[in-house]
Amino acid sequence: MKWFRSLFRVWRRETWLVFTDIGVMLFFFGLPLAYPIVYTLIYNPELVTDISTVVVDNSRTAESRELVRTLDATQSIHISGYAANLQEARRAWAEKECYGIIEIPADYAKKVGTGQQATISFYNDMSLLIRFRQYLFALTGVQMHEVTELTARRVATLGGALATQVTGLPVDTHFESLGDPTQGFASFIMPGIVVLILQQSMLLGITMIGGTAAERRRRNRGYDPYGYDAGPTAVLLGKSLCYMMIYIPMSYYILHIVPEMFSLPHTGNVRDYMPFIFVMLLATTFLGQTIQVFVRERETSLLVVVFSSLVFLFLSGLTWPRYAFNRFWLMISDLVPATWGVEGFIRINGNAATLPEISRYYWSLWALTGLYFVTALILRIYMSHTRRSEVPAPPVR
Amino acid sequence: MFPSIRRGIRTLCSRRIYIFMMVVVPLGCTFFFLNLMHEGLPLKVPVGIVDMDHSSLSRRITRSLNATELIDIAEDLESYNAAMEKIRGGELFGFFYIPAKFQEKALSGRTPTLSFYSNMSIFVPGTLSFKGFKTIAVTTSGGIVETSLTSAGIDEEIAGSLIMPLTTDNHPIGNPWTNYNIYLSQSFLAGLIALLVLTVTSFSICQEMKDRTSVEWLATAHGSMRLALAGKLLPQSVVFIAIGVAIQTVMFRFMHFPLNCSPWHMIFAMVLLVMSCQAFATVVCEMIPNLRLAMSICSLVGILCFSIAGFSFPVDKMYGAVGIFAYIMPIRYYFLIYIDQALNGLPIYYSRFYYIAMLAMMLTPVLGLRRLRRHCLNPVYVP
Repeated sequence: MKWFRSLFRVWRRETWLVFTDIGVMLFFFGLPLAYPIVYTLIYNPELVTDISTVVVDNSRTAESRELVRTLDATQSIHISGYAANLQEARRAWAEKECYGIIEIPADYAKKVGTGQQATISFYNDMSLLIRFRQYLFALTGVQMHEVTELTARRVATLGGALATQVTGLPVDTHFESLGDPTQGFASFIMPGIVVLILQQSMLLGITMIGGTAAERRRRNRGYDPYGYDAGPTAVLLGKSLCYMMIYIPMSYYILHIVPEMFSLPHTGNVRDYMPFIFVMLLATTFLGQTIQVFVRERETSLLVVVFSSLVFLFLSGLTWPRYAFNRFWLMISDLVPATWGVEGFIRINGNAATLPEISRYYWSLWALTGLYFVTALILRIYMSHTRRSEVPAPPVR
Repeated sequence: MFPSIRRGIRTLCSRRIYIFMMVVVPLGCTFFFLNLMHEGLPLKVPVGIVDMDHSSLSRRITRSLNATELIDIAEDLESYNAAMEKIRGGELFGFFYIPAKFQEKALSGRTPTLSFYSNMSIFVPGTLSFKGFKTIAVTTSGGIVETSLTSAGIDEEIAGSLIMPLTTDNHPIGNPWTNYNIYLSQSFLAGLIALLVLTVTSFSICQEMKDRTSVEWLATAHGSMRLALAGKLLPQSVVFIAIGVAIQTVMFRFMHFPLNCSPWHMIFAMVLLVMSCQAFATVVCEMIPNLRLAMSICSLVGILCFSIAGFSFPVDKMYGAVGIFAYIMPIRYYFLIYIDQALNGLPIYYSRFYYIAMLAMMLTPVLGLRRLRRHCLNPVYVP
């Protein structure tokens, strides 16, 4: 009972510290409330459509014009103009007037007419891979369309029994895009980003609280007037309780309301992603309390945590998939709660996975919770010993 | 001038956090990015196959699927549901479905359907598996046409042109391998440098006000804010530029990333990037001389520039009201110079405005010097 009372005291003290510190409030509330909206607004156009493209038509025939019309009709390509030769097209590309050049050879119509294989050349700007990807999808589509049409026509001209036997292609193909059916960019990146925002904003807040406490101790010759008068376990759990209290409603906003607001893919069940994210948040509270010890100043938390977001983004496997990691980076990424959080949440959110189906992520998060609880506990006990033994030192810069 | 610079260097050496943020982090991240994406493309996407036909044709399809470099058949599944479960569990990124009686229907001309499913929740493996599946589906169907045509007595050569009457010759300019490492590391490492410059600059300037040493800082420069800033920031510029050029050297020289211009163009761009980011942070500090807020704004800008400067999503396709912010970020111009110069090898004439924009940005702190001076003389620390 005494233990519970001290737990309650720690929780009350921590909540008071959080709500009286405007810096921490900004990290705990402002950041998770505003960031997902800002990010989604950036990526909300979702698709890259109508990419300016220039045609160099050396054939100048009805066939080549028809091909250009078909290309122009695709979602991704917009034919912005014709160029007399490749040199002129290249200049348009250098001036950023187009991002791709299609060159139709002089013998295009002849080859199409005589039943030979025709080849068109396509040059594209590689500055952004998303444009390349859109071009690739469009060109594959046009090629398939032309192939079906030309083959049917040619087989028909060959005539006879063949025409009845082979009409178009003998096998249909059917493609289904799972998880992100529109293949939009916001729909792809946001579910991962929001999980990272949860972790990073919490780490920022917790380390700032730690830095402030360290400054207070320096000012008061090693003694923190707002120190917690409780055992180490009660301190750890009491602080976690405070952060969880703030972050559980916040994660409902981030994981449910934000996707609904922007109609991003959101097929998961609340009963799957809330328990799942609960464990990630818990692991993060202990991770925060582990690194808290090393932060000596209020504002250095920003320096250290902000750049790590980038590293954590890549470690989560969102941009570069985890199966292509080498063993060392795989091990490092295993230690980050957001890695499992992102992996699990995008499966729940996009693919409607249930908790049992992503159990390996779920249990990994519990393992991390245990690990960071132990590290935070050891550090806390160790630090309280050294603090007690050390002679009050003059403030150091 | 010299006392200011000496003081600047002394401050840099006085705290470990500077060395950590200016040397350890950028070099460590360079190793991280370049090592992580060493292979260029995450080939061999783990996918599954659902073969309901179990015929010689379906086995041939499975073999050719497994032979492509894009995908790797990690599992042979017995049903659609089993495959979906693996997708949801995150073990597979897609699967290929061959329906029952596939061979029978294909050979008798009853048009069966080959289905393939890619999980686009993660873009890169999703797209790669799509590409692999599509290729095999098309070649399979082509192969069947060829067989039925040749068996009907048509010349093999004509049959070939019948199946593929139109092909496209792709020429990705500058990055013909579609190497992901080249694309991502270039933009993200430069963005990281920008982020670090922004946060460290704002930290070092406002730190003086927090510690109430700003009066002494000004006194060392004989009351001139300009000299004081120069003395503080130039040593940092030197360190950051050295680190930036070292990263460029690793990428262009040792990793052989495309560099189709004189190396000096990129080195000059790095110098401009570091200094214009310092100018940007200085302007923020002039407007809000508060350590926490200035750093928060600089971090916000530094992190958002990864998205908004158009590294992954083109600026011209963003909402106008959002995309316009790309142009106040120095990293945007560095990125454009990199594209024009190193990747595309265009004449420097085409990048002229980007250099000018960064040069102009370096002059902006002049506007707020008086305000900053006033705050330095009366330092107030707001926690």
